[in-house]
Amino acid sequence: MFTWAIPIYTPPYPGYGASSALVPNVAVGVMLFMAILSLITIATSIYTNKPLPKEEREFPDDLEDGGGFTQVGRVNLYHLASIMIPCMLLVVAIEHIGYMLASFAFLMILQYVIGSRNWIQSIVLSILLTVVLYIVMRYGFGVPVPGPQISE
Amino acid sequence: MEMIIAGLLDSITLASLMFLLLGVTIGVMIGAIPGINGPMAIALFIPITYYMTPLAAIGFLVGLNKGAFFGGAVSAVLLRTPGTPEAAATSWDGYPLTQQGKGEKALRMALYSSVAGDLISTVVLIVIAAPLAAIALFMGPAEIFALISLALTVIAGIGTTSISRGLIAAGLGIAMGLIGTEPVTALPRLTFDVYQLGSGLSLIPVAIGLLAFSEILLQLERFAGKGSGVHVTTKFSSKLEDRLLSMKEFFANTKTLLRGSLIGIGVGAMPGLGAPVASFMSYDQAMKRSKHKEEFGKGRLEGIAASESANSSVVAASLIPLFVLGIPGNLAAAMLMGAFMIHGMQPGPLLFKENAQLMYGIYGSLILASLFLLLIGRFGLRFFCKTVNIPALILYPIVMFTCIMGAYLGKSSMFDVGVMLAFGFIGYFMRKFDYSYVAFLIGFILAPEWERALQQVVIISQYDTFMFFQRPVAMVLMGLTLFVVVRTFWGSIHAKRKKKQVEAAAVAAGQHKSD
Repeated sequence: MFTWAIPIYTPPYPGYGASSALVPNVAVGVMLFMAILSLITIATSIYTNKPLPKEEREFPDDLEDGGGFTQVGRVNLYHLASIMIPCMLLVVAIEHIGYMLASFAFLMILQYVIGSRNWIQSIVLSILLTVVLYIVMRYGFGVPVPGPQISE
Repeated sequence: MEMIIAGLLDSITLASLMFLLLGVTIGVMIGAIPGINGPMAIALFIPITYYMTPLAAIGFLVGLNKGAFFGGAVSAVLLRTPGTPEAAATSWDGYPLTQQGKGEKALRMALYSSVAGDLISTVVLIVIAAPLAAIALFMGPAEIFALISLALTVIAGIGTTSISRGLIAAGLGIAMGLIGTEPVTALPRLTFDVYQLGSGLSLIPVAIGLLAFSEILLQLERFAGKGSGVHVTTKFSSKLEDRLLSMKEFFANTKTLLRGSLIGIGVGAMPGLGAPVASFMSYDQAMKRSKHKEEFGKGRLEGIAASESANSSVVAASLIPLFVLGIPGNLAAAMLMGAFMIHGMQPGPLLFKENAQLMYGIYGSLILASLFLLLIGRFGLRFFCKTVNIPALILYPIVMFTCIMGAYLGKSSMFDVGVMLAFGFIGYFMRKFDYSYVAFLIGFILAPEWERALQQVVIISQYDTFMFFQRPVAMVLMGLTLFVVVRTFWGSIHAKRKKKQVEAAAVAAGQHKSD
């Protein structure tokens, strides 16, 4: 993507200094070189039928000695979608229905998604968090909350 | 002298003291919660500091970081689940003490060791940072370019098992950091015609997404698999000798404390190593030099002193490369660098020249933060023990919603919330596939400065390719960069060869036996 974007979205050379595409090209060059190197390592190990070195395996979490503070492992797409979709909906909804309603609905959905089935606790937490952050932003920092305001 | 007194007086104004106290308190509470660490807390709270004076803001964030370092020990001692990675070694001796009913004593040892290590490190920072910065002032763009190249190469190895993945992450961070207005032509670059990207990607949404939001996504994933959260009983022994730490017990560990602090200072001052390395190294040294090696891991106070003094002394020491060279040594320093930049200051040797009063104010805040940590830890220990019990179902929605509103707060823009979500998504995959988000973030922060230095070198030298060979310091730094790259790759090849030889020898020995 960068190899396509750099020539299109980089200003032309002004005639002095280094080209504005130089550093992006170096960064992307390093990325490409390292990616190709890793692919060669994988291809070689498949060709020679030898296991990959442990640091180059796709999921180091599968190793017996894995763990510690590395957080590598398989991607749980269902979990990811269940959190990301409400977040994205909040970004869209907040501009249309306002901060209060959108935030309350978002927090209710989020708590349901992560496993909360205590409705009273969910409602209390959603209202409290929405109101507290409204007060902190509006009166503490003087920043208007996103979307239509209550007074409008 | 007047500047020093004025700076120190600034640090004891009511507002500065209040924010510092608040920072330390929140830091300890957050650090005690497993999964939330200092850099993540800084990322979450940076947007709030927009509305503070520079000194109060930096003091608040430094206090937050110092508090989080000690907070990590609370869950390490009580749960054997370190709140922060650097507290892992603390849990080895802290948890056995909790099992013996001596959890409070272990926590007191952790607190006093943290404060001691932190104070020693702060004094070293104060003594050496300004003179080193004066020397660093002689560095030109060529040296700065070479230095950033070296820092990026060293840092590429952090937070991943593979240097190639680290370099890919650093490259991606640099590419992202270059989005926005190009410095020479003043025209937009890599903005995809999105006008909000004209001023580049803001650090706050990127940092919140990468550090906090992606971490919460992962925590929730783990939490969903396990059902209910953890619960810890904080019942301590009622015997005074099991609860309190005597002067004799504390001073018996003086050598360990000093050694741990020195290790922490050495590790912290070098970019790329980080607090966990210091803590493990110090623990290892304490065990090797102890007369009671066999008691380590079974509840020895010396183990806690070694780990905590080392990891806490990293906090102030990691500010040495930041203040002297403008290079963040670790993630927390990178976040603090972001905070400096938000308040209109560029960390580096010029900081002492242009903002001397503020720097002495920060020094004052650093010392006061250690004292506040001692007070808060001493009197609030039992309260902080309860924070490890906050139910995940309450905690995670709060943190997640704070991430969203924190990203909005910086520029009052929902576009930044979208950026935060995008980087949360990217961060989730980076963590899953073991790409270093630390290297990414440091590359992102240093990219504009790196490019600026390169442009200056090219313009000043009038396209002289041998510019670096005319500057001895730059040449040495570039040589070191090359050395780090070659050594890392050579080291991995050598390790593989050695492993093969060992395996072959083992096979041969097995055959010999069977014959």
